[in-house]
Amino acid sequence: MTTPTGPEDPHPSVDASGRGGPHPSSHAPDPDHPYPSKGTSAIHDPSAQHVASRVTASGESLRPLATIGLFAQLKVRLVVGGLRGNVRQLVGFVFALAGAVALAGFGFFVMAVLRLVPADVALSTTTLLFASLTFAWMFMPLLAFGLDDTPDPAKLALFPLRTREIALGLFTSSVTGVWPAVTLVVTSGAIVGLTPGPVGVLVGVPAVLLQFALCVVASRLITTVLSRALRSRRGRDVLAVSTIVAVLLVPLSNLLLDRGVGDPMAVLHGTAAALRWTPPGMAAHAIADGGLAGLAEVAVLAVLAVLGCLLWIKVLGRALVTPDVSTKVASVRRERGLVDRFLPDGPLAAVVTKELKYVRRDPRFRVNWGSSLFVAVVVGFTTVNVDTGRVSEWQLVLVTLITGLMIGLMSANAFGIDGRSLWMNAVVFATERDLRTDLAGRHLTTALIGAPTLAVVAVAAGVAAGQPATIVPALLAGWGLLGVGLGVGSMLSVLLPYTIPDRLNAFTGAAPGHGGLAFAGAFAGAVSIVALSLPFVIPTLLGVVWVQVAAPFYGLLVALLGRRLAARIGHARMPEMMQAVSKPT
Amino acid sequence: MTDAVRTHGLFKRYGQQVAVAGVDLAVPAGSFAGLVGPNGAGKTTTLGMITGLLRPDGGSAMIDGYDVWRDPVAVKARIGVLPEGLRLFERLSGRELLLYNGRLRRIPKADVERRADELLAVMDLTGAADKLVVDYSTGMRKKIGLAAALLHNPSVLFLDEPFEGVDPVSAATLTDVLRRFTASGATVIFSSHVMDLVERLCDWVSVMSAGHIVAQGPLAEIRGARTLNQAFLDLVGRPDRTTPTGLTWLGANPKADQ
Repeated sequence: MTTPTGPEDPHPSVDASGRGGPHPSSHAPDPDHPYPSKGTSAIHDPSAQHVASRVTASGESLRPLATIGLFAQLKVRLVVGGLRGNVRQLVGFVFALAGAVALAGFGFFVMAVLRLVPADVALSTTTLLFASLTFAWMFMPLLAFGLDDTPDPAKLALFPLRTREIALGLFTSSVTGVWPAVTLVVTSGAIVGLTPGPVGVLVGVPAVLLQFALCVVASRLITTVLSRALRSRRGRDVLAVSTIVAVLLVPLSNLLLDRGVGDPMAVLHGTAAALRWTPPGMAAHAIADGGLAGLAEVAVLAVLAVLGCLLWIKVLGRALVTPDVSTKVASVRRERGLVDRFLPDGPLAAVVTKELKYVRRDPRFRVNWGSSLFVAVVVGFTTVNVDTGRVSEWQLVLVTLITGLMIGLMSANAFGIDGRSLWMNAVVFATERDLRTDLAGRHLTTALIGAPTLAVVAVAAGVAAGQPATIVPALLAGWGLLGVGLGVGSMLSVLLPYTIPDRLNAFTGAAPGHGGLAFAGAFAGAVSIVALSLPFVIPTLLGVVWVQVAAPFYGLLVALLGRRLAARIGHARMPEMMQAVSKPT
Repeated sequence: MTDAVRTHGLFKRYGQQVAVAGVDLAVPAGSFAGLVGPNGAGKTTTLGMITGLLRPDGGSAMIDGYDVWRDPVAVKARIGVLPEGLRLFERLSGRELLLYNGRLRRIPKADVERRADELLAVMDLTGAADKLVVDYSTGMRKKIGLAAALLHNPSVLFLDEPFEGVDPVSAATLTDVLRRFTASGATVIFSSHVMDLVERLCDWVSVMSAGHIVAQGPLAEIRGARTLNQAFLDLVGRPDRTTPTGLTWLGANPKADQ
């Protein structure tokens, strides 16, 4: 057995065979650790495994060129293997490929066409685009972590490869693919758009290549630094919530920018000036400047790229031999029985207690509630701040109604979040009444949070628009709509149940192949909620406000009827529902 | 002796593949029964259909004389289940999971709390009672799953691979609890690959192969003079075990290839 050769050159296989391996935590079929990263199953595709095993066959270190070839081949095999025998994914891939080609062409065209606009605008725009590309490269892979087979260095830890070889290999597999090609094509458009003359191309080409390399290195660096955190449950919980926040903040900041800041040119130049000495800024300027100044900037970029690589290799070496800490966990506080003070002891109280905990603890609930409230805020902002300042009554009511609709739609796949744990309910529920109680508990929980939320929205909208008279009708209508939403939601929960993946990123709400079902469910839900709400919504829009008094009662009635009917249907098809929400993700 | 579990021609197919091809399982009340068979024999599917979690395509299943699919109220009050895969309500703590389960079955909260505390103590989970199930190890999951299945004092307990991936200490705890449970006259039916364990624990064995019951009866009868492992291999058959021709390169001193 060999011994470690020092921190400069940690030999991963030594650690794996000698000291129990880099990932000792092994609660084996832990369903919430779905990433195949714990040594048990490194690379699934058999043909890719064949490629990978060639790495180990000789036991000697590989020449750089061989490493590059091997890893490029590995990545291609993994992509092809993922598509084989799966028509749906194949079609998706073809569409994505067509989209990527179109995007590459369009991006290149936009960059090239900048030649026709004034030089300073072209330079600022290119700087901004380069910076956005770099930013995208840094953060997009985090969202897809675990979806792509290459970015996780832990999978390579058991192969006898030196860190330098792993770094080169991961770099190669990062640049092998459709999206890297798109990036390179778009970036090279800047050569057409910015270079001062034919000689400038000599500076432009290395500048573009370095900008591309920096994108890749920055992306690898961030993934590697965070890969440990991303493998732990807590880390992924935090990531799931924070990505949705980031995604949602973009339109919100747009809304704020639209009002006030004014001159877009000033914004463009201001941002570009701030980015002048960042790597993307220097790359853009190098292409535009050409000559000696350009060369100097290219040299700086080259140094940065090399430094980034060295830093990454260092981090990678550490990441491969540092143990997983995800097993250290905190306790939760014992319940204080708040629910039991208001509800009689029994299954209803049990369901409400459990659901309230899930809203707090499951990131999927947090994401759902967060995005619903966010839609309310955006709709409210746009409605209240229209230029004239004069908002009609029904527009204000609409803000509350839309919030109610969003909250109601959340209940449209009630059993999906239980997923494979639904059997725990199924072995208990013997009658229709049991299922009805379960649905009632879920409705009560949603109403406990949703009703006060709607009140806040109605009051805030009314006060902000200076029309407090709308508060009461908006609130009553909103509550009515929430009730209708719960009734419709319970029907959809039993008619169109689908699997929600445990591994949640902000962009997928359904298991592979279930996206269409999820969309159909949400669409059918929205249409039926609106249709069932017309009896009290139409009079409001016509100005007959007193009808609203009946709206909450109407909502309660619809919720009750929906629950009864859903329990009848659901009780009869419980095994089928369990299968529908337990599909592999 | 009455039967705790009896099925007639239980049948299930997935697409073209027949998973369970007419199973007549019989387990006398009060026995500690093992359901053994190779992977893919249909053990999990059979247990799913008996416990009402999977709808059979044909046949019937009775528990304590009640039909599983016609009289679910009587059946579900009598059975405790620990299925394969062990998905529990992950975002509850162990204690909260037990409380939820008991109260869902309409047991008064004070009683559930007392039972939960005792079960947690017996299962050696008191220290982890307030940690989320999502952070539990495999052994802890099996133990909390068993605690949840025992909470309402069932008369028949179904366990799918209860010892798979469990460390020896947790396995000892599990067997202790199960032995006490059967000693009181209740019935346990569990599926397993581990013949030693079945031989040590069970007094009744049902052997499944390719969707059929190939042998069923008291352990001593099935085993005869052989070990259970040998009896099992004889019953389900296995590929010819002549010396393999490949793998000459494998081992510390490989023979040179010819």
